[in-house]
Amino acid sequence: MTLSPKAMHRRRFLTLGASLGFGALSAPHVARADEPVLNITGWGGKWGDIMSSDIGPAFEKEFNCKLRTDTALPFLPKLQASSRSAPIYDVLHTNSNEQWAAAEMGLVEPKVDPKLVPNLADVYPYAVSDKIVGVSIFTSAIGLGMRTDKGFAGITSWKELWEAKYNGVRGGYVIPVNSLGQAFVMMCGTLFGKGQTDLDAAYAALEKLKPIKLVDFTGAMEKLFLSGEVCLGVIHDSGIYRYDGQNQPIDFVTPGEGVLSLEQVLAITPGSKVKELANAYVNYMLRPEVQKRLAETVWYSPANRNVKLDAKYDARLLTTPEKVAKLIQVDWKWYNAQKDEIDSRVNRIFRA
Amino acid sequence: MPPFAPQTPSQEFSGALPAATSLRDRQRASAQSRRPAAGKRIRAGRALYLTVNIAVLIFLLAPIAIVVVFALNPTPFIQFPPVGVSLRWFQKFFAARDFMHALVFSLEVAMLTTACATLLGGCAALAIARGNLPGARIVLAVMLSPLMLPAILTGLALFQAYVLLDVGRPLWGLVAGHTLVTIPYVVRTTLAVLHNFDLRLEEAARNLGASPGRTFFEVTLPLVKPGVLAGAIFAFIVSFDQFPVSLFLVSPGNETLPITLFNYLKFDLDGTIGAASVVSILLAFLVVLALDRTVGLRAYVKL
Repeated sequence: MTLSPKAMHRRRFLTLGASLGFGALSAPHVARADEPVLNITGWGGKWGDIMSSDIGPAFEKEFNCKLRTDTALPFLPKLQASSRSAPIYDVLHTNSNEQWAAAEMGLVEPKVDPKLVPNLADVYPYAVSDKIVGVSIFTSAIGLGMRTDKGFAGITSWKELWEAKYNGVRGGYVIPVNSLGQAFVMMCGTLFGKGQTDLDAAYAALEKLKPIKLVDFTGAMEKLFLSGEVCLGVIHDSGIYRYDGQNQPIDFVTPGEGVLSLEQVLAITPGSKVKELANAYVNYMLRPEVQKRLAETVWYSPANRNVKLDAKYDARLLTTPEKVAKLIQVDWKWYNAQKDEIDSRVNRIFRA
Repeated sequence: MPPFAPQTPSQEFSGALPAATSLRDRQRASAQSRRPAAGKRIRAGRALYLTVNIAVLIFLLAPIAIVVVFALNPTPFIQFPPVGVSLRWFQKFFAARDFMHALVFSLEVAMLTTACATLLGGCAALAIARGNLPGARIVLAVMLSPLMLPAILTGLALFQAYVLLDVGRPLWGLVAGHTLVTIPYVVRTTLAVLHNFDLRLEEAARNLGASPGRTFFEVTLPLVKPGVLAGAIFAFIVSFDQFPVSLFLVSPGNETLPITLFNYLKFDLDGTIGAASVVSILLAFLVVLALDRTVGLRAYVKL
């Protein structure tokens, strides 16, 4: 039996199509066969700049690997959608609230092994406390930001945020979508009730906080401070200190009751195929020289006790046990369990 | 004159004239008395028409105007009235490697998507309209279904599919996602043209000896071109601005412009966002303008 030219043509076309399809599917496997790839998450902005220009390439060179950083949110749904045995990330870098959600779903390992990450021995206790999944490599202090040119001086307490003179120039966050806003709910419970979990006291306090300008992102809050639309509001220290040297009339206030911690946490995924490299990365990020470089770029307080910052940074960031003692860690595991209820309630409070 | 002698027309006219004149006078007088009121109503109607149109234009263009003001204002925050005019945010945008990479990558993805969506959508519309397909309505509903599904779910579903196939997040995967959500536009606009298509033109070509291929390229395609082209423009713009599908499908280091803007927004809310938006709007406008110059969009405005 002989095949007609048309049949031959069709068969060749199908073969070519199948080959191309197979090639397209297998190309990534072939490409990634050369060197190990460590998939991590990370931030954009100045953090992303220095990671891609200095810190990341130095790690790649030292460990002969490729560091692939995903800076496009949302990290958790992507990790959730990927296979547990072949997760999309090897190291998840995000804030503590998301890490707890990931840990609850078994997407990240709850703790980092000190034997595999020797620099863990040098971190402040808060970085590996029972309020932390994985390890906190940096923290920011959530306190009050203020304008210094509007006659609002001498602020010493969180409770001053409720004073009537700040009506119209008070700033906060859309609580369901912002970690600072969520941490602030717990602070309200502490300030006006029996503790972080006293939600009734927190709701009552939030009700009295109106009128208040709410934003989604800390970047937007910074701009409200710069424009003078907000004169007293909740913000993290790095959001104010990053304008250092730009002659802006803004400052950060550490209230007497303490500051909330906004941790930058690393956790390793259980299904990672490059666990050794993942642990090496966590250890690398805790090295004093790496910590110093990042801390002085983005104004985050380093978790490693042995980091010696330049005087300007040392004076403002949490670099001594005494300063670190002012940190109030949030029980995110508890908060995440109540999140739906809290979201619903605070939405009602601020919608009215 | 006998009593029943018919009146001459002139007599009839002359006899009826006084009554008719008085009726016309009354009507004219009445019309004159009504004219100011009617004129007022017309003027009021025109004013209302203009007001509504201006309000609609303001509603449509105000966001763009605000973005332009934000992009040109030198302060690093939104301020009104603006304190001056500066190009510093445009300089920052064009000097930023991430933004430039994202801009070029977005254009690349949009062009690939437009090619794929136009080819697949155009062929699908032809098959649905002319192929006598069994269950053509169901096929059409399936083709249009991405419009009904929230795009973020389309992105998530594709992401999961790629993860299962262990192919990572390649460029073709992103283009496939964009193609999926842009095909309905091409199908819809092409079908609109095919709906009014005169089959006799094709039959005439065939009767005159043209092959099926020649008939398609010389008769069918030129006639459906307006619909295909309109769909292609939609596909380009939808892909270039696509956010929810891209959110899950962009790979590290290869982010599209909307994703890069979103990530930037979390940390910085300065005029760079405005500058990027202005560039994005201008690019979309330039694409439409270029198409108009090359293929004459004005002829297809009826679509």
